[in-house]
Amino acid sequence: MPDAYLELRAVAMQYGSGAQAVAALQAIDLAIEEREFVTIVGPSGCGKSTLLYLVGGFLRPTAGTLGLRGRPITGPGPDRGIVFQRYSLFPWLTVRGNIGYGLDEKAVPRRERDRIVDEHVRLVHLEGFEERYPRELSGGMQQRVALAQTLACQPDILLMDEPFGALDAQTRRILQDEVRRIWQRDRRTVLFVTHDVEEAVALGTRIVVMSARPGRVKQIFTRGFDVAVGDEFEANPAFTDLKLRIWRSVKEEVDAVRA
Amino acid sequence: MRLLPLFIIVAAWQAASSAGWLPKALLPSFWEVASALGALVSSGEIFRHTASSFARAGAGFAIAVIGGIALGIVMARVKAVQRAVEPVLLLIYPVPKPALIPLFMIWLGIGDVSKVTVIALACLLPVVVASFNGARSVDDVLLWSARARGTSEHRLLWRVVLPAALPQIAAGVRTAIAIAIIVLVSSEFISAETGLGYLIFSYGGVGADDAMLAVVIWLGALGYLLDRLYLAGLRRAMSWHAFAH
Repeated sequence: MPDAYLELRAVAMQYGSGAQAVAALQAIDLAIEEREFVTIVGPSGCGKSTLLYLVGGFLRPTAGTLGLRGRPITGPGPDRGIVFQRYSLFPWLTVRGNIGYGLDEKAVPRRERDRIVDEHVRLVHLEGFEERYPRELSGGMQQRVALAQTLACQPDILLMDEPFGALDAQTRRILQDEVRRIWQRDRRTVLFVTHDVEEAVALGTRIVVMSARPGRVKQIFTRGFDVAVGDEFEANPAFTDLKLRIWRSVKEEVDAVRA
Repeated sequence: MRLLPLFIIVAAWQAASSAGWLPKALLPSFWEVASALGALVSSGEIFRHTASSFARAGAGFAIAVIGGIALGIVMARVKAVQRAVEPVLLLIYPVPKPALIPLFMIWLGIGDVSKVTVIALACLLPVVVASFNGARSVDDVLLWSARARGTSEHRLLWRVVLPAALPQIAAGVRTAIAIAIIVLVSSEFISAETGLGYLIFSYGGVGADDAMLAVVIWLGALGYLLDRLYLAGLRRAMSWHAFAH
């Protein structure tokens, strides 16, 4: 069987050891194809962020293997770009400096670097804010910079760890549209973690529901319809129906934790 | 307006002297001290001593800042170094550094080397502690973010850990400025032929209290000015950071 673009096999993750050991993830098998937009949704504490950090190579799994394009993941690398929930920008660099960070690390020639940075400033609509520092920006703008910083590195896969979780509802909706627009433009593979079922359905072409801790892949939904940029998807009965089915699946897990 | 409390103290001091409540043997009047300072400035003598004091304090301070930042950051990132260095630092920490001056003079001679060494040692501690704490509290998210954007493990120190720790390091360096002045003066009390500490000590020894106090006030003013300059420079150089003070 040929490997999928991103492949997780029998991945398990345990924090701590002995009596204090906490099993965060158990027996995760997941295959993601190139250009897919996969969202992962589950109750809090189900290990969905841990899963993303394993793909990022920031953590090492207790068991199992992870591979991207047939190569095992052994550590962090610029082939996997990540957008965190917050505080991931370098406070001492301006917007330009942050967006160009990965290019500087690759020693991209000055002129080429500036061209790519300008292009990404425009992509996330931050013209006029190039020389600002992160502390001078709103939360939504900071996340735009983080997105541009990640995209400028041209990663094979984009990992997003609840990137809009700390934003207000309107800003979140606008940024979701931005991500959709960018994805539809360059069809980069995306793995997007969220606790918001609506966000999961609005963005993902496939939606993975995880169980309560220890996290397992509980159910995978395929979205059979497209969501266009600016869509009022609430008005689409297919959307509402899928959202409801996924919510029920998630709610079982939330209740399981409470019981 | 900010100088008002200072002004009140000086006025009260002068008034107490003029009214005869404050005998000259206890404290010379403010006017006498100010005149002594004026004489020291107009003869240019105080500048000569200031220059030699600042050379000593500056050398010790510079060694401490460079060494302290390097040591603190390496301690925070390399467990073995932390284990080796931490007990030594904890032991040296409560020792009043001027008390080591006689020992250093036996080892390094009575010249400038022993003075610079003791100043460097005293200034080192706040810089190491601040750098260590700053480097250790760097958020994982920043380190991960850099790693995922192509920064290698050993370049992290330079690219992320050092700049992220700078606000805390800057606070440690500010403490070191004050300590440098304190230890400088103590070191010049013993076996110096130039320097502001030497001046204070020799004027005190011959009972010239007005000139002695003049040098003390001069030192205080210089220390205050240095601190202000440092903070202003910091705000300029690190405009990306929101300083609390």
